[in-house]
Amino acid sequence: MRTQSTHDGPAFRRAVRELVAAFRPGGDDLLPALHKVHHEYGYIPRAAAEEVARQVGLPAARVWGAITFYSEFRTEPPADVTVGWCSGPACRLKGGDRVRRIFEVELGIGMGGKTVDNRAGLHMAQCNGQCELAPMVWLNGRERGNLSMADAVRIARELKAGKTGE
Amino acid sequence: MSDYLDLRQRAEETWNAWQRPGKTRIIYSSDTTSVGRGLADTVAALEQGIAARGLDVALQRVGSRGLHYMEPVVEVADAAGGHVLYGNVTANRVPALLSAVERGELARDLAVAVVSGPDVAGLPRLEDLPFWQGQVRRLMQFCGLIDPEVIDHYLAQAGYSGLARALQMTPEEVIKEMLDSGIWGRGGAAFPAGRKWDFLRTARGEPKYLICNADEGDPGAWVNRMLLECDPHVIIEGMLIAARATGATYGYIYVRDEYGLAVERMNMALAQARERGLLGENILGLGMTYDMEVFRGAGAYVCGDETGLLSSIDDDRGMPRIKPPFPAQAGVHNKPTNVNNVETYANAPLLFRNSVAWYREMGTERNSGTKMFSISGDIVRVGVVEVPFGVPMSTVLLGMGGGVPGGRALKAIQPGGPLSGVIPGSLVDLPLEPEAFRPHAVMMGGGGLTVASEDRCVLDLVKYFLIFCEDESCGRCTTCHGGSQRMVEIFERITSGQGKPSDIDTLQLLAQTLQWSNCAHGQLTPTAPLSAIRNFREELDAHIREKRCPARACPGLINYEVAAQGSGLAEAAAICPTGAVVQEGARYRIDDARCIRCDACREVAAPGVIQVTDRFLPVEVVAAPAR
Ligand SMILES: Cc1cc2nc3c(=O)[nH]c(=O)nc-3n(C[C@H](O)[C@H](O)[C@H](O)COP(=O)(O)O)c2cc1C
Ligand code: FES
Repeated sequence: MRTQSTHDGPAFRRAVRELVAAFRPGGDDLLPALHKVHHEYGYIPRAAAEEVARQVGLPAARVWGAITFYSEFRTEPPADVTVGWCSGPACRLKGGDRVRRIFEVELGIGMGGKTVDNRAGLHMAQCNGQCELAPMVWLNGRERGNLSMADAVRIARELKAGKTGE
Repeated sequence: MSDYLDLRQRAEETWNAWQRPGKTRIIYSSDTTSVGRGLADTVAALEQGIAARGLDVALQRVGSRGLHYMEPVVEVADAAGGHVLYGNVTANRVPALLSAVERGELARDLAVAVVSGPDVAGLPRLEDLPFWQGQVRRLMQFCGLIDPEVIDHYLAQAGYSGLARALQMTPEEVIKEMLDSGIWGRGGAAFPAGRKWDFLRTARGEPKYLICNADEGDPGAWVNRMLLECDPHVIIEGMLIAARATGATYGYIYVRDEYGLAVERMNMALAQARERGLLGENILGLGMTYDMEVFRGAGAYVCGDETGLLSSIDDDRGMPRIKPPFPAQAGVHNKPTNVNNVETYANAPLLFRNSVAWYREMGTERNSGTKMFSISGDIVRVGVVEVPFGVPMSTVLLGMGGGVPGGRALKAIQPGGPLSGVIPGSLVDLPLEPEAFRPHAVMMGGGGLTVASEDRCVLDLVKYFLIFCEDESCGRCTTCHGGSQRMVEIFERITSGQGKPSDIDTLQLLAQTLQWSNCAHGQLTPTAPLSAIRNFREELDAHIREKRCPARACPGLINYEVAAQGSGLAEAAAICPTGAVVQEGARYRIDDARCIRCDACREVAAPGVIQVTDRFLPVEVVAAPAR
């Protein structure tokens, strides 16, 4: 994983310009361009947002406004393992909020945070209709479902110990 | 028309070869739920096992039948016509299945039903499963039967013949047929689709656009996802028919970011349709020009609102706009636009392939046709079903869904997601029609039905919806973001023992204020709390006046206690995330200040060793003053 500091400077900006070269101003290209950047770097670096703004002909502030409006765009590099916590109703009924408290306490971070060693991050995710697995989390997109509370504690402890959960 | 017949003929050849390869077929169901339940490992095990055993079989993919409670589903169809469905085929069960296939026998332990062919003793037929009884599969007729990544499979089922027919009708005739069918929008507002299409047809301005709203933001609803992933072409065909009726030349399918597989399959479907001349210029040789793209959202509930969706495409934050102008006047790129839900468009091909009379055979006078529902929560069988409008909800929740597991009582039903509310389980017989739900202060909504058993707290669920609405407010109106914030605060208090009797009046006042929000997000945010006041007053009073959560779920109203120095306490102490299970000599107790009420200790200790108790002592309730 490249570090954040490499995501700036002329060479980086050139790479971003190349990545989003096909997008055009005045239309419907902002979100597709942002998705492309997000996919490439795992988040949207500030310098990349500025390059996207230039490419689609919008003020950088407006692009940044759009980025922060959507919950699936990150503006910081992700942790080694992102715990997507399902906030949905089936999960909630089956103890999802307790799962959240367990991850927060075990990892010592709040929703949206990352551990200082960058091993684990917590992200509030939405129900995508895998409710048969409630309550559930996604570890870097991979489902861990039908969790008991003890399961949640164990997963959190493994993440703390540097296991990736795969 | 000859273009279509050529396509169809080619497709039938592909389909026949797939269906009758002259050897046994092993068919796996592939959608986001089966993936979540281990499909990748199952497929790997199948591939490996087939190779290792040297089996001469065809391994094939289909969409899901909606049997999400038993995914991954694998079916075995032998060359002689026997076709059996197996459930819960996780990778570790694949060897047993393949051994049976190798011997030409039934894998008894995994077998669920006979799909077609001869009866098998002791095995029901698929249509006799409780999950199937009462279902009428029209929209879902090909879900689980065809490979959604192969356009020929759809074409071979007379797919796109509705379009071929519509292309030979005038736009006015197409719209008349839509109106006569009674099809209304499935995305929430229940507006007649034909009328909306006519708005766009008669709108001034070029080009005209179509948008398919596949944002499906209601948590607990995944009926749109079902069609996107398992039968993408029925949506494309529906939009093409709408294009014929309205003169639209370009379209967007706006899919929420969470639906990665749906994005992939829709993109694949669009490419294949384009390749067959079903998108682009001179479609089917009948002159129409129309194309479209998938547009991926990025996580924002208000982008499901049609005007939020427009803003999201138009290079901006997805802030809902003020109406008028309506999308038909000024939509995407400020041009005339029609927005419909996935399921709305998907109804059109059924109608045009058949007839108005056929369409109206299902449902009621006011609500013709069928509706898909996704059922989840405290229910035995989680999945997606399709029923005619007007069927009692109990048929779906108790019959197909199997009711609440473990013999617990059905306490509450949550139809329609965060902008709807909660009704008591005693209303389970309500007919599934929008009109039936309104008198109970909720909406039927887009298809999500979530069930809560007696041991769940309804107020906790309502609080969750309020937190959701606050979080997803676009921030434009103070009524909306401030009002929802205030409601969250009040619910936080009520669920932690700080509720006041006046809170109910305050909530009602806030609800009136929220009506003045710009869009339906703010306007409907009060639905859930108002439904709780109306339908769960006793539970609300218990929280407010007695400081008691009857379900013993609200963390601020319960304590954890060591009730007996029994077995499992060392394990409980080890699992506790906060070290709240404290050992003193040979005894254990719970340090209340550290306890986060996560229940992990109670789970690992022997039954009865750790107990949940009310935090506050019973109070003598002073009768509420007459209202
Ligand atoms: C906050 C909010 C969220 C909405 N989410 C959706 C959605 O996810 N899918 C949908 O089809 N309609 C949604 N709607 C309704 C749409 O605004 C619109 O009425 C619908 O897409 C029109 O299609 P229909 O006529 O086919 O129902 C939402 C409305 C609001 C206010
Ligand atoms: S509520 Fe968690 S997956 Fe649906």
